[in-house]
Amino acid sequence: MSRRIAIVEDEPAIRGNYVDVLRKQGYEVAAYSNRTDALAAFRARLPDLAVIDIGLGDEIDGGFALCRDLRALSPMVPIIFLSARDSDFDIVAGLRLGADDYLTKDVGLPHLSARIAALFRRSDLLTAPAASEDILERGALTLDLKRLTAHWSGRRVDLTLTEFWMVHALARFPGHVKDRDSLMRDAKIVVDDSTITSHIKRIRRKFLGLDPQFDCIATVYGMGYRWNSAA
Amino acid sequence: MNGPRIALGIRAQLLLVLTVFLAIPWLGYEYVRELERFLRDAQERTLAGTAQAVATALHDRPRLFETRAAPLESLGSGRASDEGTVPHSVPMPAVPASPEIEQIIRGLSRTTARIWVVDREQDVLARAGSLKRLDAPPVDASAAKQLSVTRVGQWLETEVLQPLYARVLQQPTEDFSDERSGRAIAAGKDVEGALAGILTVERRPTADGKAVIVSAAHPIWVGDEVKGAVIVEETTNAVLAERNRAFARLFNIVLAALLIGSVALTLYASWLSTRIRRLRDQAEAAIDAQGRVRGMVTVSSSGDEIGDLARSFRNVLSRLAQYANYQEAMASRLSHELRTPIAVVRSSLDALRMQPLPDEARVYMERAQQGLNRLAHILTRMTEATRLEQSLADAERERFDLARVIAGCVDGYRAAYPQQVIELKLPVGEIPFDGAPELIAQMLDKLVANAVEFAIPGTPIVVALERDILGICLSVANQGPPLPQEMQGRLFDSMVSLRTEQSRDQPHLGLGLYIVRLIAEFHGGRATAMNHPDTQGVVIRVDLPLVRAVR
Repeated sequence: MSRRIAIVEDEPAIRGNYVDVLRKQGYEVAAYSNRTDALAAFRARLPDLAVIDIGLGDEIDGGFALCRDLRALSPMVPIIFLSARDSDFDIVAGLRLGADDYLTKDVGLPHLSARIAALFRRSDLLTAPAASEDILERGALTLDLKRLTAHWSGRRVDLTLTEFWMVHALARFPGHVKDRDSLMRDAKIVVDDSTITSHIKRIRRKFLGLDPQFDCIATVYGMGYRWNSAA
Repeated sequence: MNGPRIALGIRAQLLLVLTVFLAIPWLGYEYVRELERFLRDAQERTLAGTAQAVATALHDRPRLFETRAAPLESLGSGRASDEGTVPHSVPMPAVPASPEIEQIIRGLSRTTARIWVVDREQDVLARAGSLKRLDAPPVDASAAKQLSVTRVGQWLETEVLQPLYARVLQQPTEDFSDERSGRAIAAGKDVEGALAGILTVERRPTADGKAVIVSAAHPIWVGDEVKGAVIVEETTNAVLAERNRAFARLFNIVLAALLIGSVALTLYASWLSTRIRRLRDQAEAAIDAQGRVRGMVTVSSSGDEIGDLARSFRNVLSRLAQYANYQEAMASRLSHELRTPIAVVRSSLDALRMQPLPDEARVYMERAQQGLNRLAHILTRMTEATRLEQSLADAERERFDLARVIAGCVDGYRAAYPQQVIELKLPVGEIPFDGAPELIAQMLDKLVANAVEFAIPGTPIVVALERDILGICLSVANQGPPLPQEMQGRLFDSMVSLRTEQSRDQPHLGLGLYIVRLIAEFHGGRATAMNHPDTQGVVIRVDLPLVRAVR
């Protein structure tokens, strides 16, 4: 059974490109150009995954509203924001509404489809038992590479896909400095340096929320970041 | 604002204009002198009239001149008493030479005039009256009283003005020497003229020069023969006193008017210049050193030209503010607007890549992709400063070791620019600092990238961190072309670049040093650029404050 992806994007050229590429990859794609059409369709039938732009025609924050409505319809459907806006404010607002990831339009289609595939994999495997070879353990940190979930001392850390990939890139080789470019590559995003900094800060904050003593992600100024194994 | 010219304020200018009114006292002085001349003429005419009247009483009475006793005093003794100060009470000889004449003229005598009657030999026949007014009242006291309103005014009047007038004007005095005080009369033009049969008026100073005496001599006729002469003398003291009084009164009034006028004008000018200065201060404060509109001019309701000026200042400022806002927002708006078409191109290229393409087409695909990447990079740079301004607003400060961060960064640069020698000078020990380490690193990124670009290949870049009691100084020096003089103040402004030719792979928007400035100012510091004093090159230094002592 092919998976059904909803794309809500007001720019017809971009919408067309996404639809074509994703269809080619075997997905069933439904495209909408505004919030009302999309919401009506979602009410009729939930998509398996939604890619939503924030600015929709006249509604500058139409995507946020749509995300909220979709989350209300289903807590499980993966939602990806794909927007030209890249301010921290928009990113934080989007993720707080329950989106699984926030991407800027700088991201290429290959990166987007990699994310879509990963999110489908995650939702598929949430129920299946974990296979031991897909588990990465670093002290208190446990990363399930199949399900794309992170746990700290047995408690779930609610990371977005981008954040999960970043943590994974850092924790795979503890003590090694990851520079920003390789972090971007591993997290399959294209952003500028200060956005990486914001991502790292958000990740730290999430861990700190679970463990005020968390100190595993160290900044190596001028170079990048490093995972410090807790002694 | 302050030019090299000598600046005269409005107040000074108005006071300068006020000096025109100093002509008024001069006019008054001229008028008073005219008055004096008139009074003198009147005095002369009066004396001549008196002399004529006395003479008329003695005309054609030959008997008066026959029964004449011998002259009482010789000429010599009369002259002898001239020298030295004359006592106030001049002894008057009791016995006249001609009692009849004496009797006649006594009735004609006036308080301040002296009448002589002499015969053809110039021997004094009779004399009446005195030149000196012994009970003279203090001069112009009545006039002075009128103007002294307050005690200060009175003090000013008596202590300042009157001595001043006394200096300028000749004061009448009763204390003069009178060479004709004795019984004898000295020979003078007046006497001689009268004895020759002509009415003669003469004006002569006293021997000591303290007073002027006006004398009128009229012949006494007996038939066709001149039998003697009547001489009437008077000092000009009365005229002088009158003149001085007029002058003092006039001058007091003019001075008071000038004083009141200049005070009023000064107050008015102060008010004007205060308004103008306030407007200037506001206008200057409204725009900061970077040309951003920070405030507005408060508009007064006054309808005069200064109020107009304030209103037009306000208009100009608000237009400037609109323009500045437009300009500031333009970079981020432009990049936002460009993002969508770029996404169209990017997604199209991505879709194209999945198509089976001939190999030669792949080359163009790659080129299009490269161009697109550069475009995206430019966009990122354009928004970097705006994004930084946003992130500065909620950046978190923490205590960290500045030396360690700088050292780490420099390690990173050595890896990033392998062909470039980077020297690092650090002080011994930690340098605690309050701030955002990632921002400091971002600032150093910009400084080093800048230095690498301008450095002469093969020469080192020196990153130095110093601390003294005043503050922390971070500097990045490179050898290379010096800064042009005119750029030194603007180097840290937005969209200012020194680069003459565009580098091929890196877009330059002149935002790097602007970001340095933003971060330095966020940390309470200051960024400056200067040419290196010794070597040919440029030093950019960032002065940062010391950590507060409370830990």
